[in-house]
Amino acid sequence: MQFIQDNPGLLFVIATLLPLVSFTLLLLAGAARGVLRQHQQNPTLKSLYELLGGDVTGRGPAYVGLASMVLAFGLSFYGFVLYLGDYPVHLHHSTTDEEKLPAKVEVAEKKEGEEEHHGAGKNPQAELRKKHRLEGWEGSVSWARLSFFDEAGTAAAPGSELRVGYYIDHLSALMFVMVTFVASLIHLFSTGYMADELNKQVEDHEVHAADGHYKRRGRFGRFFMFLSLFCFSMLNLLLADNLFQIFVSWELVGICSFLLIGFYYERTSASNAANKAFIVNRIGDAGFLIGLMILWTYLGTFNFQDIFQQVRAPALDAHDESIALAGTFVRFHDVEMPNRREPTKPLAGMKIDQKAGPNVLLFHADDHIHGDKLKDGVTGTARSAVGHERAPSIPYVWLVVAGLGIFLGCVGKSAQFPLQVWLPDAMEGPTPVSALIHAATMVAAGVYLVGRVFPIFTFDALLVIAYVGAITLFVAATIAVVVTDIKKVLAYSTVSQLGYMMLALGIGGWAAGLFHLMTHAFFKALLFLGSGSVIYGCHHQQDMQKMGGLFPKMKITALTMLVGVFAIAGIPLFSGWYSKDAVLANALSFFTLHREHFLLFVLPLVTAGITTFYMFRMWFMTFTGEPRDDHVYEHAHESPWIMTVPLILLAILSFCVAWGWPIYKADHSWLEHAIAASQPAAVENNWQVQIDAHAQHGANHGSYKDMVHESHAMAGYLALGVVLIGLAFAASSYLFRFLDPAESKEAFPGVHRFLQHKWYFDELYSVLIVRPGLVIAHWCRAFDTYVIDGIVNRVGSANLAVSRWHGWVDKYLVDGAVNLVGNVTLAVGLWLRNLQTGYLRSYVLFLVLASIGIWAVLALVVAAAP
Amino acid sequence: MSGAILLEHYLVLGALLFVCGAVCMATKRNAIGVLIGVELVLNGAGVNFVAFSHFNPAFRLEGMIFALFVIVLAAGEAAVALAIVLNFYNNHTTVDVDSAEELKG
Repeated sequence: MQFIQDNPGLLFVIATLLPLVSFTLLLLAGAARGVLRQHQQNPTLKSLYELLGGDVTGRGPAYVGLASMVLAFGLSFYGFVLYLGDYPVHLHHSTTDEEKLPAKVEVAEKKEGEEEHHGAGKNPQAELRKKHRLEGWEGSVSWARLSFFDEAGTAAAPGSELRVGYYIDHLSALMFVMVTFVASLIHLFSTGYMADELNKQVEDHEVHAADGHYKRRGRFGRFFMFLSLFCFSMLNLLLADNLFQIFVSWELVGICSFLLIGFYYERTSASNAANKAFIVNRIGDAGFLIGLMILWTYLGTFNFQDIFQQVRAPALDAHDESIALAGTFVRFHDVEMPNRREPTKPLAGMKIDQKAGPNVLLFHADDHIHGDKLKDGVTGTARSAVGHERAPSIPYVWLVVAGLGIFLGCVGKSAQFPLQVWLPDAMEGPTPVSALIHAATMVAAGVYLVGRVFPIFTFDALLVIAYVGAITLFVAATIAVVVTDIKKVLAYSTVSQLGYMMLALGIGGWAAGLFHLMTHAFFKALLFLGSGSVIYGCHHQQDMQKMGGLFPKMKITALTMLVGVFAIAGIPLFSGWYSKDAVLANALSFFTLHREHFLLFVLPLVTAGITTFYMFRMWFMTFTGEPRDDHVYEHAHESPWIMTVPLILLAILSFCVAWGWPIYKADHSWLEHAIAASQPAAVENNWQVQIDAHAQHGANHGSYKDMVHESHAMAGYLALGVVLIGLAFAASSYLFRFLDPAESKEAFPGVHRFLQHKWYFDELYSVLIVRPGLVIAHWCRAFDTYVIDGIVNRVGSANLAVSRWHGWVDKYLVDGAVNLVGNVTLAVGLWLRNLQTGYLRSYVLFLVLASIGIWAVLALVVAAAP
Repeated sequence: MSGAILLEHYLVLGALLFVCGAVCMATKRNAIGVLIGVELVLNGAGVNFVAFSHFNPAFRLEGMIFALFVIVLAAGEAAVALAIVLNFYNNHTTVDVDSAEELKG
């Protein structure tokens, strides 16, 4: 226990590993069952097979997965509480800046200061213990040593090893609590939702076999196995203290998503959707890899803190004086050798140019830097190992490309424009999966990563992120207006909300974006599970055009979903209100500083109204009015408690998770302040740079916090107005029916068709990428068939001809010679046997004649001899 | 010295005996006759050995011993051959060597 107290970060490590344990158990059990199924004639093996569940697993796998998640939630929550004890959250930021603990590095520095302050009066042992404890929130172990690069070869030089580690701050701790909580509830919900899979024979109504519907064995265990693997990967992603570990988890969640989208893989649509998701994500991951390679090449490390320390100027120099460019990228020109492509330049020739310098200075822990010189030139000694007279640096362009590369990975994972096409198709998976992976957690991983690596993004990269987010949120919201599949509405709304988060991060609203990620996870999981409950109750009917008037039949589902709709629409006091207002307040602040980027404020504001419209449209179409399909209506029923309990819990959290004190103040959310507590210093630095630049034009906005605080009221009123307009439209169209949706459809047929085809993205990609890809594939196949196979076949037939000839030689020449010898011997023997008459007298005669012959020969020889 | 008996006379006698024996072996169909021929051949050789032993002091001892060997062998051979002939007769009721042709190739 004391060990855990000293290393509280390990709580999260254990929480991460728990789902891995449950995955391993389920995998082994499943594999064993697969093997044992073949050997049922053996009574021992048969009983073992029965023990492992037999043909039908029962709910065991669900309990294993659920237990691991609940336990992980308990550990995470305990860890979070411990963390809050060490790093408390202060709700009212207006008092002093010192109370806030923006980043870990600064905390460590401050802590040392505190120790000097209080050290004399307190028990030194307790101080030591506390220091030790504070260090226990991060740690890492060597994973793979690549090489020794330093001359001595004793210590690990930078860039020589990959590590696995954990790094806990407010953000990751909160994410842990959120993910494990939502995952626990979704495990519980799935236990009910996936009950069909418990049957020995499941009939898939969407797959047609030769004899009616396709039938297969239930896959209950497999579902929970994948779910456990996903939970492990997701938690590992949150836990990681370095980019490479994140990349590994990134791919793992990708494969889980693939496996779960294609869970009903007999359906063509499901397997296509799984492939689409996987391939689109590969595009993003290619960018991610490029980013990783650039960072590794120039910085030699994947650790977040090391990376941030290198790319951004430190706050203090070697003599504890503040540095003029603290917290920014120090860009510089080299005047002496301007055309050299090499980024390393002699220090003396360096000229700082924050606007257009082609290189960015890299800082290392053991650099000796003089702060006062960081304005017009740098003096200092660089790293000890190499290049004393050179400044380590990275070309600015590469830094932008690295940031955009990593962002491309996030674009794929978080389904942002232009890679948003996979997420709506991913709804082919079971609904709990859509809720957990494709709404609450995995798709948020992209946003989380952008938040994590925020300090490496340059202004250019951030602007790209902001615009991508803005375009995404608008495009997805407009499509959601015309979609009639209840899950697809939610899918597009997820894409749209993820766009909000990206936009917020891009404009520098770090805490706002991640805050929205948190609240969104709760209410979107709620909405998805609600839709799952509706689909389950309507016997797998997903089309809202066949629903309607379901409220009396499923009151709990309807009411909890209404909470979710309120939250996502941003009705005051619901969680979404706080986060969306925070995003819009940041957008308004950004707009104030950069009038030319007005779209970054207008699009999210308008989309807030659209969001309200389509979410209420969904709710009204499903639960109110007259039933559109009597068959569906008659058979509809409320789901069992195992499914409604998660709904109720999520509804409570969707309502109040963002509350602070006083409740009615949108910028007093406790959750937002907790997230802001781990905000990197770079966020405020960025704002300060922009505000200072703007101040040169005569406007004074004070600090970032003041500015956002001022924007909050304005943004809040505007948003509320837009939301009310959206609500009014939805209510008049679908509740009170002043407006007929069919008429508005006919009024704008072009717009409707355009939206129904999802802005023709799929068609565009089909023309631009898929079909050319297929053409190239056909070429490749033709090349393979005619050239490669041709060569192989020619070689084969040539070989055949040589073999034939060789066979002929063997048969007629070699064998012929051998046979000839044999035949001759035989003939001679046959001829000679005639001599052996069996007559004694003839033998004697031969003897005599032979003797005479020999003597005659001898006589001749002797006579002939000289 | 025309009355003296020289080595050549013995050799001619041995050769005559040998040729008689050989002709006897080659012409007789009776197995006993063949045996007689064999004896004649052996004795022809024996005469030679003794003659050389007598006329060549270098071969005195060896000639005698070889002659004795020939006599002993002839005796043994006659015993074995007669036994074979008897058995042959038992099986075939004849001693015609031409009917002993089962081993021909």
